[in-house]
Amino acid sequence: MATNIWQPMLAAVLGLAVLAGSVPASAQAPIKIGASLSLTGTYAALGQNQHRGYQLCAKHVNEKGGVLGRKIEFVLYDDQSLPATGVRLYEKLITQDKVDAVLGPYSSAITEAVANVNDRYKMPMVAPMASTTSIFKKGRKYIFMVQSPAEVYLEGLLDVAAKQGLKTVAIVNEDTLFPKATVQGTIELAKKKGLQVVFVEAYPKGNTDFSALLTKMKAANPDVLGAATYFDDALAITRQMKELNVNPKMYGVTVGGDLPKFYEQLGRNAEYIYGATQWEPELPYPGSQQFAQAYKKEFPGADLSYHSAGGYAGCQILVEGVKRAGSLDGEKIREAILKMDYDTVYGGFKVDQDGFQVSHKMVMFQWQEGRKVIVWPAELAAGKTRFPTPPWNQR
Amino acid sequence: MTVVITPTMIGQVIISGLLAGALYAMVALGLGLIFGVMRVLNVAHGPLLMLGAYTTFWLFQLLGLNPYLSLLVSMPLLFLAGVVLQRVLVHRVVDAPELSSLLLMFGVSIALVNLAQLGFTSDVRSVEYLTGSFILGPFAFSKSRVIACAFALAITAGAFVLLKKTRLGKAIRAVSQSREVAQVCGINVQRIHLITFGAASALAAAGGTLVAVMVAIQPEMGQVYTFKSFLVIVLGGAGNYPGALLGGLLLGLIEQLSSLFITTQVNEAVAYVLLVLVLLLRPTGLLKGRS
Repeated sequence: MATNIWQPMLAAVLGLAVLAGSVPASAQAPIKIGASLSLTGTYAALGQNQHRGYQLCAKHVNEKGGVLGRKIEFVLYDDQSLPATGVRLYEKLITQDKVDAVLGPYSSAITEAVANVNDRYKMPMVAPMASTTSIFKKGRKYIFMVQSPAEVYLEGLLDVAAKQGLKTVAIVNEDTLFPKATVQGTIELAKKKGLQVVFVEAYPKGNTDFSALLTKMKAANPDVLGAATYFDDALAITRQMKELNVNPKMYGVTVGGDLPKFYEQLGRNAEYIYGATQWEPELPYPGSQQFAQAYKKEFPGADLSYHSAGGYAGCQILVEGVKRAGSLDGEKIREAILKMDYDTVYGGFKVDQDGFQVSHKMVMFQWQEGRKVIVWPAELAAGKTRFPTPPWNQR
Repeated sequence: MTVVITPTMIGQVIISGLLAGALYAMVALGLGLIFGVMRVLNVAHGPLLMLGAYTTFWLFQLLGLNPYLSLLVSMPLLFLAGVVLQRVLVHRVVDAPELSSLLLMFGVSIALVNLAQLGFTSDVRSVEYLTGSFILGPFAFSKSRVIACAFALAITAGAFVLLKKTRLGKAIRAVSQSREVAQVCGINVQRIHLITFGAASALAAAGGTLVAVMVAIQPEMGQVYTFKSFLVIVLGGAGNYPGALLGGLLLGLIEQLSSLFITTQVNEAVAYVLLVLVLLLRPTGLLKGRS
């Protein structure tokens, strides 16, 4: 076959080029970074934000001359928000596209599925959008966490609730990996803070009618509702809470509530709602505000959320790892990343020996007059909470 | 931690179930019509609904048109799309083995979703038009869902009258009962097929328009309605048109009541278990359908 002749020739030419040592960066093939993202399907809005983060990072890295004297280039596929598709795509990226490194997909569910693939090929994967602790506690050696774990997403909500003297909490969640981990963490945290959990219920992914769930929850009469959501469900739950007049003193969502779209679509009904976020542009992290400005310039009108910054940071971390390793060897990159203590636009990055994140901080905001005002933790807060939440018709 | 379920809660949940069910019934009637008349299982029914929802979204977004008024656009538009689909593609497989038509419709379904992704992107959209509810004693009636239910019932009733009373309706039912005999009696079967596919698509479009104000709009929103419609027509009895109404209301109730009494996680599972039971015990549906 033709390729059998061409491959050794190509290798020989490349070998000579390396030996010659005088080839400029642009003449060398770019470093290929593979990833699949949820560009369509349930997680599309969030996956697309992460995608833009990857793209902008590649642009910035290449403007500064790339890494190891080579440019970087993404090989990117759409996994349609399906874990099984993600697995197939990472297999293809590593074995057929022969990428030099991989970055993570969107969501814990898909990361959990694909983490076995890159681990099998000993290819390091910085996974910026996986927050479920268990993914990193299964003895996998080549996966690195970037953001705070799912378990602490609602910590801010509970902390503020406890300080306000509230007593009871209800938790609802989508029945998938990440929201389930949030629920477990939230139950633990509630116990520690002396709050009583009076209602917990999961709903299937793609659920559109929450009437019965909310009717039951209303009967439990909680002071606080924490919803471990993605975007579509956060929207639907909020609308139906208004319809059924369910109005706890505090109501917070995990994912989705931080998207500008959340407010655009709900309008005043989004006021007073709390949201958890891994990142906001105004946080005092190095390069954070510059990133936000560059992003708005590069993608006018596009959503900017923590997923965008996380994607950017994941790529920053990988590039820094490659730079410190001085090589594309998986083992060397792994060792470099394990030793890193690095400031990204997304906050601190440092992992323990399992690749579990220990440096990043979670924050909580509240929608106030169409703006996300960071209200927790105190040292990062930009404003005070508006408490308690007034009836739906007075927002 | 257990919640005590009161009669008021049950009442509220029954209201929600019936409101949802009427909509299911209308959408499923479209699927049932095509199956009844042509023996084609239109798995692209949900994606057609999605196109109806987008029609409403764009008219609302670009022209500020009242979403309910956009029924007057989405239904004729999708009627036309259905006629074209039938004329160009579906008529080729009406007499083919059922697997061929199923494959074709899967293809159409995937193509429609992908075209929507290409044309509209996967961004989640919504029509923020009507929120809140009417309060009646202890019960809340979601405004958007009550209006959707009213329209769905009116459109379904209209479709029944058309099927029962008009010459066209009689012709459709005749073709559904026996194509050969209908043909012998001078009915233009090809034309009836065109009209049926168009009407079914218009019903899907109406569903799309009505859910557009309730749920997030995105290219893959339709699939779930294909499955729900399938459930509804099997429950009601395939080919038995009033059965669709019964099946729809029943599905709405089952979903909500199982969510209340068991947990929301299992509401779909309960509906499918019921489907299996119906297929085992009354394979022709609860109202007698055609075997």
